[in-house]
Amino acid sequence: MRRVEGQELPLDFSPLFQHISHMPVRLTTAKTAPRSLIAISDFLSITFGITPCALLVILALAGCGSESPSDAGDAATLSAWAHAGRQAERETLAAQVARFNQTNSDIRIDLTFIPEGAYNSQVQAAALAGDLPDLLEFDGPFLYNYVWQNQLRPIRGLISPETYDSLIPSMIEQGTYNGDFWSVGQFDSGLGLFADRSKLEAVGARIPTHPSEAWTVEEFEEILAKLAERDPDGQVLDLKLNYRGEWYTYAFSPALVSAGGGLIARPEYGTAEGVLDGPESIGVMSRFQRWVEEAHFVDPNVDDNAFAGGRVALSWVGHWEYDRYRETLGDNLVLLPLPDFGGGSRTGQGSWSWGVTRTCPHPEAAGAFLDFLLRDRQVLEMVAANGAVPATRGAIEQSDHYAEGKPLNLYVAQLTGGFAVPRPRTPAYPVITTVFQGTFNDILDGADPRRALERAAREITRDIADNRGYPDVEAER
Amino acid sequence: MKSFLKHLVVALAAFLYAGPILFMVVGSFKPDADVLAEAGSIQALLPSEVTIQNYVDVFERVNFGRFFLNSLFITGSIVIWGLFVNSLAGYAFARLQWKGRDALFLLVVLLMILPYEAIAVPLFYQVSLLGWRDTYIAQILPFVANAFSIYLFYTFFLGLPRELEDASRVDGAGTLRTFFEIVVPNSKPVFATVTIVTFLFFWGFFLWPQIVTSGERVRPLPVAIATFHTLPPLKWGDILAFGVMMVAPVLIVFLVLQRWFVRGIASTGSKG
Amino acid sequence: MTQPPSQRHRFRRRFNRPAFAGPVMAVPGVLGLLLFIAIPFLTAVALSFTNLRMGSPLPTEFVGLQQYQRIFADEGFRRALINTVLFAAVMVPVQTVLALSLALLLNQELKGKAFFRTVFFMPVVFPMALVAVIWELIYAPGPNGILNSFLDLVSFGTLGPVDVLHDPALALPGIMLLSLWQGVGFQMVVLLAGLQSIPGVLYEAAAVDRAGKIQQFLHITLPQLRNALIFTALVTTILAFRVYAQVEITTRGGPVDATTTVMYETVRTVFDRQQVGQASAMTVVFFFMVLAVTLIQRALVKQEREIA
Repeated sequence: MRRVEGQELPLDFSPLFQHISHMPVRLTTAKTAPRSLIAISDFLSITFGITPCALLVILALAGCGSESPSDAGDAATLSAWAHAGRQAERETLAAQVARFNQTNSDIRIDLTFIPEGAYNSQVQAAALAGDLPDLLEFDGPFLYNYVWQNQLRPIRGLISPETYDSLIPSMIEQGTYNGDFWSVGQFDSGLGLFADRSKLEAVGARIPTHPSEAWTVEEFEEILAKLAERDPDGQVLDLKLNYRGEWYTYAFSPALVSAGGGLIARPEYGTAEGVLDGPESIGVMSRFQRWVEEAHFVDPNVDDNAFAGGRVALSWVGHWEYDRYRETLGDNLVLLPLPDFGGGSRTGQGSWSWGVTRTCPHPEAAGAFLDFLLRDRQVLEMVAANGAVPATRGAIEQSDHYAEGKPLNLYVAQLTGGFAVPRPRTPAYPVITTVFQGTFNDILDGADPRRALERAAREITRDIADNRGYPDVEAER
Repeated sequence: MKSFLKHLVVALAAFLYAGPILFMVVGSFKPDADVLAEAGSIQALLPSEVTIQNYVDVFERVNFGRFFLNSLFITGSIVIWGLFVNSLAGYAFARLQWKGRDALFLLVVLLMILPYEAIAVPLFYQVSLLGWRDTYIAQILPFVANAFSIYLFYTFFLGLPRELEDASRVDGAGTLRTFFEIVVPNSKPVFATVTIVTFLFFWGFFLWPQIVTSGERVRPLPVAIATFHTLPPLKWGDILAFGVMMVAPVLIVFLVLQRWFVRGIASTGSKG
Repeated sequence: MTQPPSQRHRFRRRFNRPAFAGPVMAVPGVLGLLLFIAIPFLTAVALSFTNLRMGSPLPTEFVGLQQYQRIFADEGFRRALINTVLFAAVMVPVQTVLALSLALLLNQELKGKAFFRTVFFMPVVFPMALVAVIWELIYAPGPNGILNSFLDLVSFGTLGPVDVLHDPALALPGIMLLSLWQGVGFQMVVLLAGLQSIPGVLYEAAAVDRAGKIQQFLHITLPQLRNALIFTALVTTILAFRVYAQVEITTRGGPVDATTTVMYETVRTVFDRQQVGQASAMTVVFFFMVLAVTLIQRALVKQEREIA
């Protein structure tokens, strides 16, 4: 390597940059700066001036924003992370937190909304940095990974027995792992097909009212074809392809189970091979691909308005769209079970729920907050905002959507009748879902279903092997 | 005739080129439902109905002002501290004789080709362990020292005539005083160039803040628009309004100071 | 001003010796580079030989070259390498030629020259994240999308609607187009300044020698623009290797890996899968890629110089 001497440069960038050293230099003193250079000093002074100002404003904002009111000086402050879901949901939660803070002068919940897209990534990064919040909301199946990583503490002793006893079975199932109870949420989810009744009637389609009467997938495809004939652009189905991330696993992995396949071998959760890339799973994914790529049944839904805007007759979606759809379709809106791919209709379950982290300094205060969220009033308020299935028996009874004969009773029938499948209860879940999401997208974009699924199954199985089957590290010690 | 043709070609190219910008601005003033519906027709540029509702919505839905100030503060800090730190280093390498200089300079040149993205992973790990995740400092400090800026300063200072500094020294001024009173005022072009290049780069910086920030507190604009774009309900009108507000101030600064701005960028590559 | 105390005086005298002032002035910059670039990079090299996973309660193990074997065996990563090189290989010449054409166009007698220059330069101040969001809308599928309506118009209905971001053959070109739109103004301004600094005498002399326009361009314009062209090519290359935001926002590497890039794979590996060890290996590979390209460019520039 040559030595750096004077103008000679080591990596010989000199030809690139010698022009800069040849730039005409105006030798001036500040007093006699020529006209053309004044702009530079102007700009610099603007930049130099703005930055301190911005800093001041930020400090001021931070001052008003995060400083607690004076009376909260000795309150136990708990930080909480929640997902930035739909607007009504966010507003309701924020209002409930505010109400809780107001009525409990000794506890203060400091709520932060985290974008849904990278939620787990943010949790993992915060865990690494040691700055996880005290109360953490997460999508149901991520629980098992967080427990394995030893991020959470059991909450059975933190919440009141009444709260625990009021929970519907699927919520207790979701929160229970390794013999402890770890999380509660205000709602479970409901997944099905929203349909425009008049369009279905126009093609003479049967309208199932119970999951056991669900359309078979062949029947479903016939209906799609008939609907498409009458539709100006032939696109009659909305799969919410504008969504990203967890949606794909939540919404479409039950179809694999219905056909006899799935994401991973249950209940050992040791391998995905032979299941995710088995003939049943390949068959289901090939159908989805055909609907999108060949038959063009599926609206790309770039504006998220395919169903509400009347462009399609069917929308494969969760409870959260009920309000909006109801507003535009009125009594024409009907909720149907997902099609039966062979072994009976299967649908998704599980939703966002709360856990208390190991590092939380006031676990009993966190428990009090969870008790508050799970009171019927809060639960009903939340499900009124997002249309989800209430997590407590009391709230279900009082709700005007879920009782027998009400419009969303189907969700309850699915949850209690064994039609809903929980996503895999394993610490490998974050990897399983990441891999499946990518694979689902690829297949819809035209990848060969068998090859794509084989690759996905290999990847998931390898991750499990890499982690030595996710042993219970605490128990081993 | 030839001149007319020339103008026609340029005007056509300019229209195509400005298309996305026009579409963004016009779309931001349309009722949300019209943005996509009218995208394929001439109404994409000539709205049938004009409203500022989208702008109102943005402020109702997210803390836009906060994001903007965050960006301004982060980028401003990187630029200003960077000018200071890198010009000093550039001067030390260009003009002063000291032990280890050549070896260190070689290191700077080597680091110049190492893009920030290449160290994002370990730096992310490092910053997380330090507890700097989700702070301003994690978005500023690692980027103040900049090998490329040091290099730009270095080459510029090499080309400055030595006589001025020598005269200043004879007058009894120290090294630092000579630097600040004689060298800096005579080096405005390079300071301007470095300011612009650094500002543009970090104003649009996306990957790093995306992985080190989580809440809204220290989130800068590029991450904010990516998040806003996935925040339900999906409203394209609001997203475009967000985009207009995000870029308009920089665009205005650019238009006002245009001649100078262009000269600063041109000087990075022209032969002068 | 009062006379400074003698101790301070001594310090000042010492400081004014370059042997002392030099290191002091260089320290903040060099230290910053060491702490935030050199050390993280060396950390990455070390971590790439381990199976470090974020958050895993299992012990981290030394795995030798396993991570490298894995990433090179991985279809997605191999595709990312190809895409990244392809992206740079297309972007550098295309963007340079386009920028040069625009610069030549604007270097002529033209009414409203400043206006046109402004138009072409404007996208440069757009952050890539915003550009990606706008273009996602432009690429909206279906006959009503902007791009599709435009295609329909200019092709008199022969070019059917395309779904750029979901078509494996079109997605990468789509990402290139939006990157081009954002970046070309910068190069154009640099080249325009280069053109304007070419002494007119040279062209007058050439005209006397009856050299045609094309000959003038080849024998005067290009050689005179050499430094500016090398600079723009270098900047475009560096930026091309970094392509990330566009991909993350519009296609997420899809369809079927058609737009995945090395940076995108790296970030997904560490951020979505917490595989710090594997992502570190990708980082090291990325570094050697950039290094190789830089060395090649340097060799080319040097060779050309010797010929000249």
